[in-house]
Amino acid sequence: MSLLQEADRNHLINEFQALTEPVKLVMFTQEMECQYCRETRMISEEVAELSDQISVEIYDFVRDQEIAEAYNIDKIPAIAIVRGGQKPKDYGIRFYGIPSGYEFSSLIENIMMVSRGESGLTAETKAWAASLQEPVHLQVFVTPTCPYCPQAVIMAHQLAMESDLITADMVEAIEFPQLSNKYHVHGVPRTVINETTHMEGAAPEPILLSKLQEAVA
Amino acid sequence: MSFDLNLGLGMSNLGGGEDNNYDVVIIGGGPAGTSAAIYTARADLRTLVIDKGLTAGALGITGKISNYPGVPGPVTGAELVEIMRQQAESFGAKFLTDKVVGVDIHGARKMVMAGTGAFYTKVIILATGSMGRTSAVKGEEEFLGRGVSYCATCDGAFFRDQTVAVIGNNDEALEEALFLTKFADKIHLIVPTPELKAREALAAEATDHPKIAVQLGTRLKEIVGNGQVAGVRVHPRGGGEQTLPVTGAFVYLQGGKPITDYLMEQLETQPNGCLVVDHEMQTTVPGVFAVGDLLCTHVKQAVIAAADGVIAAVAADKYIHGRKAVQTDWK
Repeated sequence: MSLLQEADRNHLINEFQALTEPVKLVMFTQEMECQYCRETRMISEEVAELSDQISVEIYDFVRDQEIAEAYNIDKIPAIAIVRGGQKPKDYGIRFYGIPSGYEFSSLIENIMMVSRGESGLTAETKAWAASLQEPVHLQVFVTPTCPYCPQAVIMAHQLAMESDLITADMVEAIEFPQLSNKYHVHGVPRTVINETTHMEGAAPEPILLSKLQEAVA
Repeated sequence: MSFDLNLGLGMSNLGGGEDNNYDVVIIGGGPAGTSAAIYTARADLRTLVIDKGLTAGALGITGKISNYPGVPGPVTGAELVEIMRQQAESFGAKFLTDKVVGVDIHGARKMVMAGTGAFYTKVIILATGSMGRTSAVKGEEEFLGRGVSYCATCDGAFFRDQTVAVIGNNDEALEEALFLTKFADKIHLIVPTPELKAREALAAEATDHPKIAVQLGTRLKEIVGNGQVAGVRVHPRGGGEQTLPVTGAFVYLQGGKPITDYLMEQLETQPNGCLVVDHEMQTTVPGVFAVGDLLCTHVKQAVIAAADGVIAAVAADKYIHGRKAVQTDWK
């Protein structure tokens, strides 16, 4: 039984007409599939079926350890959204946990963005990202029922697109309680920057930028 | 840990389908927003009004009105709004009970993101009124994200089998309290006024729920804790202060400040938080209008808000059709 309904499939097929460059979903699961690994794999496969521009690769987190390490994947289920085709590129965009509920729209937005090859961020933010000298890691904790979360997730992923030094993870807080505990997540969205700085809520771009500047200062 | 992961996948959030495209999306269904809807719908503009509920706004919670022109009354604010809505619906306007969480106001195709999905539109009319809060309760900012929350649907799962407080007195507060019953063991519903000002059925459901303890006439004085919320200090009317041990405090209090948080600072405001508009109620962004109590330039009366809505509606029609002058509705 598929997860996507017929009307939704048709809607997405239409939306994906706008895809200009190939996008690859690199999904990590394991033989004894984890909680929501199966559903996350199904989502990846079903979305990839909707456009010739989208491909999917499924890897086993244990058996394909080298590939998992190459993508720096440390937990599952995981999806890396990368540029495909002749010039593949891993922007550091990651989804940890199932992209369901409101986060399904984040997944689709990211596919569109990677295909477009344009983050849509302001010139000021792009200039800051281009000037980075040190790595920046953003972890955006979400729940599937949080309407404010996609904004925070998408902005983090937009940033990842702008610099090879930035990686950005969506982390589904309920599936990874140990991380939620570690980072004191009691409300979402909560963005953890480089382990040391955090921000509550979905902030406008200028506010996130100033928080990032503070984190790397 | 089990959790409803909403495997419907949230497809409605994507928007873009025919049903999600409008000429005019109005945020707020009080007298300003609904009057605008009457005019835009009558002008054959595909119109959607998104509103949190009949009793969500200043007029909706007003008890007795006898001075609204043409309606001798007395009527309650909710009754007056309902009459206006029926008039707007008779011209084809659609009303959606939902909360707007964000907007993208730039470009010809604007987007309004609500809980149930994204809506695309040529024009946005902002009519969210001025019941925003002016100041936080002691401890609220300190414990934000550490037990203080404004979104039970987002954060409820973190409070499984715990005792929490919901503070507020409107439909939203009661709906969120009822949502929390899926997770929390006990919910203290702290209501500042002597009676509930929510829809009757909702009030009855909350009052009768075995997990909800309604505390009427009780003011929230402070949210306390040590790195994490540990309690709320409250003051019941006529009684002494007490601290209720809770791990979560969900705050839905209201005040008198223009509600513009969902705009994410995309529009120019005055120092007092009011939006800046021109003589046609258009903000600094073309195709985005603001009306009613979001403005500081007029008497805060329903009839004035309604008039604002009409001015914006007529200007919206002009904007959409690229006309230079307003087209009159009488000959």
